[in-house]
Amino acid sequence: MKHYAMVIDQSRCVGCMACIAACVQENQVPFENFRTRVLEITKGKFPELRTEFRPELCNHCDNAPCVMACPTGASYKREDGIVMIDRDKCVGCKACIAACPYDARYINEEYGFADKCTFCLHRLKKDLEPACVATCIGKSRIFGDLSDRDSEVSRLLAENESRVRLKAAGTKPRVFYIKRYPTKK
Amino acid sequence: MEFTITGANALTYPHLHIWDWRVAIYLFLGGLAGGCMSMAAVANLRPGKDVPKNQACCWRVPMMTPIILAVGMGFLFLDLQVKEHMYRFYMTLQPLSPMSWGSWILVLVFPAMIAFALSTVPESAMDNLKDGMIRNLIIKAQNSMRPLAKLNFLLGILLSIYTGILLSSFMARPLWNSSILPVLFLNSGMSTGAATMILMARRNSIKLFFTKVDIWLIFSEITVLVLLYYGQFTSPEASRESIMPFFTLTSQYFPYFISILTLSIVLPLAIILKFLELSGDHSENLELTFKQKFEMNASAVLVLLGGAIIRFALVYAGQLSKFTGLS
Repeated sequence: MKHYAMVIDQSRCVGCMACIAACVQENQVPFENFRTRVLEITKGKFPELRTEFRPELCNHCDNAPCVMACPTGASYKREDGIVMIDRDKCVGCKACIAACPYDARYINEEYGFADKCTFCLHRLKKDLEPACVATCIGKSRIFGDLSDRDSEVSRLLAENESRVRLKAAGTKPRVFYIKRYPTKK
Repeated sequence: MEFTITGANALTYPHLHIWDWRVAIYLFLGGLAGGCMSMAAVANLRPGKDVPKNQACCWRVPMMTPIILAVGMGFLFLDLQVKEHMYRFYMTLQPLSPMSWGSWILVLVFPAMIAFALSTVPESAMDNLKDGMIRNLIIKAQNSMRPLAKLNFLLGILLSIYTGILLSSFMARPLWNSSILPVLFLNSGMSTGAATMILMARRNSIKLFFTKVDIWLIFSEITVLVLLYYGQFTSPEASRESIMPFFTLTSQYFPYFISILTLSIVLPLAIILKFLELSGDHSENLELTFKQKFEMNASAVLVLLGGAIIRFALVYAGQLSKFTGLS
């Protein structure tokens, strides 16, 4: 069984927003909603400043609070690790949105159900990468199967110190971050 | 150290605002219904009292309670984005979802509160009923008034505390994620229930009894409210930041500042008014003066106002609170 995960090499992100545009186009995300975003965080005191680009998306947590909060079982976790929403079961109560510490969900105003990143499951079924990964010009986003030791995500996690968002929350995310800042030349 | 979000990407950053006044009203009316259930049960279970067939407050409040809850659920229904899927709540029981438990609790509560309401119908009202199914139901329910009152007392507590558990289960929202929040909502629910009894009761003895009860409930409510803020203040940064809107006088946080200011006036004022009521001469047959009636009703209205403010302030402020940073 595959265990999908994403590794984000922050040192390679240039904040071009191509991933956001690709996601919106691929998934027909409604106006003013986003399944992914890129935070630009500047730290330090002038003139010694450092900017971190932090792409964010659904973390497809192993211990997903959104799945636990869902009163109808519409939110569920697949065996391959992807957290999905069954639109036919969703009542639009917004409990999952309140439960997500990563603010990764939104209400699709056109149809009413909760929505979020699916790792582009429809593309994975065709052996394609998620749209944000395929379009990333800096190769900052790397997607793959954690159960395969030879996959790029497994290799990157073995070779680099990685972090996850809000580790203390205990959600066990499947989106990992490496190399926070670009290497100084 | 500076921490800023800049550039065009900031446009994509989410602003959580998912639950509005409809959910706040639902939580208030849910707590009020729970309080009314428990307080009406207390009125009927007081020592030495027979079946209360002539006690107006002991049947009008139980009659009102299902309506209050139904109106509250109506507001919750309005908040649902896919209303036609509402039946999905009752196709499953998700053991880890408080909202799923809540939907089933509401199903349990309705028959119990209606049966209790029927059991308290007085003889004077029975005279207007022709022989029929409702009259037979009332007679059957009246035989089980005390067990039904005990059941309603427990279910009222369950209903009131559930409205707090619903919010406190969200780990992602530091303001809500406190074990004290359900206790506050329970306390507030009971207090508003006692206030409703005071407003609806016709007999002085009932009004005075619930005035005494409500004094303790309001003292307790203020203590729990202070403990909630103290607990948040002494917790990690995200929890401490979550209460700052209440203590920051800026245009952005003005409603929250006003809410805590209003609560700090409304609840103590309600206690003072209640002490004024109790300090007067109150024999069973004494006619209440206009001043006494005003004090009683005004304090009850203040308690109801305080309960509503607590729900609105916490529902909205909780959505401002969040964890930040990567790790």
